[in-house]
Amino acid sequence: MAFVWHLVILIGTWLPGALTYTMIFGKGKILHFGPLGVSLMTSYATFLTLGATGSYPIAVLTGLGSAIAISAVFAWLSLRLEPDGFGIMSIAVHLSVLSVVLNWSSLTRGALGIPRLPRAPFPASQEGFALVMVVMCIVWVLGMWLLDRSSFGRKIAALAEHEWHSAALGVSRARVHFLAFMVGALGALFGTLPYHHYIGLLHPNDYQFPGLIFFVMLVVAGKPGSVFGVTISTILLVLLKELLRFVPLPPDILGPVRLILFGVILFAAVWYRRDTLFPKQRTV
Amino acid sequence: MSLLSTSHLSLSIGEHRILSDISFSVDSGEIIGLIGPNGSGKTTLFNVLSGFLKPSTGTIHLHGEDITTLSPAKRARFGIGRVFQNFGIFRDMTLFENVLVALEALSKEERALKGDLRKVSMETLEMVGLQSHAHTKAGSLSGGQMRLLEIARTLMSGKELFLLDEPTAGVSPKLTQQVADLILQLKKQGKTVLVVEHDLPFIGRICDRVIVMDVGKVVLTGKPNEVKQSKGLRELYFGADPTT
Repeated sequence: MAFVWHLVILIGTWLPGALTYTMIFGKGKILHFGPLGVSLMTSYATFLTLGATGSYPIAVLTGLGSAIAISAVFAWLSLRLEPDGFGIMSIAVHLSVLSVVLNWSSLTRGALGIPRLPRAPFPASQEGFALVMVVMCIVWVLGMWLLDRSSFGRKIAALAEHEWHSAALGVSRARVHFLAFMVGALGALFGTLPYHHYIGLLHPNDYQFPGLIFFVMLVVAGKPGSVFGVTISTILLVLLKELLRFVPLPPDILGPVRLILFGVILFAAVWYRRDTLFPKQRTV
Repeated sequence: MSLLSTSHLSLSIGEHRILSDISFSVDSGEIIGLIGPNGSGKTTLFNVLSGFLKPSTGTIHLHGEDITTLSPAKRARFGIGRVFQNFGIFRDMTLFENVLVALEALSKEERALKGDLRKVSMETLEMVGLQSHAHTKAGSLSGGQMRLLEIARTLMSGKELFLLDEPTAGVSPKLTQQVADLILQLKKQGKTVLVVEHDLPFIGRICDRVIVMDVGKVVLTGKPNEVKQSKGLRELYFGADPTT
């Protein structure tokens, strides 16, 4: 039963980020490859502040502030750059944040990560924590579903389909992009904090390139822009990822095999959705 | 005071002069036809007026306010509505959502004036006889229905000035009449319309004034009948008569 609770918790930690990412990348068709960069900055800001002050409220506020700051940078870049240029820039920003974390060892302990994180005020038992995650996920899924069906959801979909036509109606691209990235910042906060609380360790390896591939895979496989589709794909793919641990292969082979398998799934999903994944080019 | 005025508008892209010294004004309630051969700069002028292209020189005033540097979304909120040459509808949304998103993009005050936006959206679809398709994807409509939806959506947004770029292109004669009726209905409401068209009889039926453009310049203005009779227009469309 403990393993089932473990799976529930892991799904709960991936879901907020995946749902906000599908709003930006899936529905908004903004080629954003920096969601892990936001999570990385948020988690380090939170846990370094927690280590320094010992106060959870201050730490969470700092984490939220840093999530908003880096998301605002991404939103600003998305307004200033062409879509493909922004895609590359978002990877560059993510890698820049990662390299700062890896190299500023005196603050972040670099590649060693930060172990024995102070416990957050969540239930101490695994079952209790899992139930908190279930409730949080239900609230999050409902919230994202409502946002998807709201005026904001329609505006971001309109901008994704045709920027000029939307602007001619009065839809402000700047306002919609900023709001979308702010929702993304909240998703990063609500995903990373419980995850690091649960494993008790903050390590930069969780924010490397394979993590980004997994994020993209969750959205593409679940149908970009679909709240329920991405919820189901998150559940299934996190289960697959964890169950692969039981495949009787040596760890040095299992790791690459898992990466290859995810690469194949991503390739198949992109191929299947090739007509709807990226914005259509239309002229006026 | 005129509703819209442009003063010495020019646009250059690289070494190419696309628009040259365009100055005109439009009064409230007027319907102005903008005609000219392909490549004469009519759509480019619309793109400059609606903010998608920044003019190299010159100014644009709406309601006496300088709007030359405003973004397209701000100009839309300031009262400019636009119907594009291609179909400017969102094909992945339902017809109902297509209208609703336009109403939701209005300013807070305008939305308050409209009241229940969902009701207004449905009324808009009823106005053009598309209410039975309200919850189907707009991409499944015929070309004529898409055009009607787009025009109705723009008209219902309550703008003061409408820029209609070839609203009857690819539309049947019956729907062309419906589009003409919609535009004349706007005039009755005191709205102002600038319409780019190649259908000269259509322009003659609905317009108060016609502006003729060629190679990025205004070459002729006048009432539809005067312009129609002018030798300049015939030469522009059919070339100089070798017998004269």
